Amino acid sequence: MAPTMLWASRAASYLRISMFHRGFSTVLKDLKYADSHEWVKVNGNSATIGITDHAQDHLGDVVYVEIPEVGAAVKQGDSFGAVESVKATSDVNSPVSGKVVEVNEELSSSPALVNSSPYEGGWIIKVEMNDAGELKNLMDSEEYSKFCEEEDSKH
Amino acid sequence: MRGPLKLEVWKMGFVNYLEALKLQEKLVSDRKLCRIPDTLLSLQHPPTYTLGKRRTDHNLLIPESELKNIGAELHYTQRGGDITFHGPHQAILYPIISLREMGLGARNYVEKLESTMIELSSLYGVKACAGKKCETGVWVGERKIGAIGVRISSGITSHGLAFNIDPELEYFKHIVPCGITDKEVTSLRRETSTALPSEEVIQEQLISCFARLFGYNTVVQKENPSILSDHEEIA
Repeated sequence: MAPTMLWASRAASYLRISMFHRGFSTVLKDLKYADSHEWVKVNGNSATIGITDHAQDHLGDVVYVEIPEVGAAVKQGDSFGAVESVKATSDVNSPVSGKVVEVNEELSSSPALVNSSPYEGGWIIKVEMNDAGELKNLMDSEEYSKFCEEEDSKH
Repeated sequence: MRGPLKLEVWKMGFVNYLEALKLQEKLVSDRKLCRIPDTLLSLQHPPTYTLGKRRTDHNLLIPESELKNIGAELHYTQRGGDITFHGPHQAILYPIISLREMGLGARNYVEKLESTMIELSSLYGVKACAGKKCETGVWVGERKIGAIGVRISSGITSHGLAFNIDPELEYFKHIVPCGITDKEVTSLRRETSTALPSEEVIQEQLISCFARLFGYNTVVQKENPSILSDHEEIA
């Protein structure tokens, strides 16, 4: 992610202004997706987790991210933390089961990274998976794009 | 395309904050399992201060020990938002609805809650508007008439909105309401010159505004809504 984007998001977070909301949502090809709008990037047994561009757009400006402690257990489909935006706290669910090995400390001072860089600077936790077989329960990028289109057409 | 949308309304009268919270937790769980339809609790609380997930208790301006003397309780919650006050003559709506089924995100949901209070205000000739950036809520000029604090868990909402019909505004002096300094809190009574009907009528109007804005085409009222579950027995 370009350094200028990170600086811009930090400046935006400090000044409490929002990055503009685009008309489309980005979906990255090599990630897996949960129907609660979290993404996971798998590297061997390690999984990096965050919320998708679609999710951050529908949430509004994130002002607070509640993250678990390193060492906490997470379970596929269960909540591991929350984000707050527009006076709403929304639970964030884990797409995989395992143990939290790293958390994104940047988010406590720059929660808006979740909006400006949902797939990179805005990652939330890294998990050591205990069952890679669970990945088959998740959607690939094409399925997830279609899922978002269907959800958005409901209203 | 969406099918017909049904809303079940519980008119609960005066309810203690913790009891309402426990009821909401149960209803959220039932809604997740599709045991109940979208549900709306309509009620008022005795004097209660509440904090959100960020626990911004520096915005409580009197010591916690003093609260009993003024007849108020304090509760920490998992909702979004800062510190606020709930009390008699303030209309509260707690929607327990599935945002996923509606295809709504947090931002749109909160905007519709703001619109619900804005529409109600307009029935009394009061020009209210949504807050600017970082000031979610409903304002008449620089004065806040309605507050919002919401929790969304697996796409199901709890907590909701609080609209000031005619609460005792002195209670707000003991907090920095919603963490916003230098802004007053107001009420429908203060802002309108129209004679107000009974609170029951106003709460009914608030429910109608909500139902219309969210597109419910069937609204039913639950008979004998109670904080007890259907499975609990009265001793």
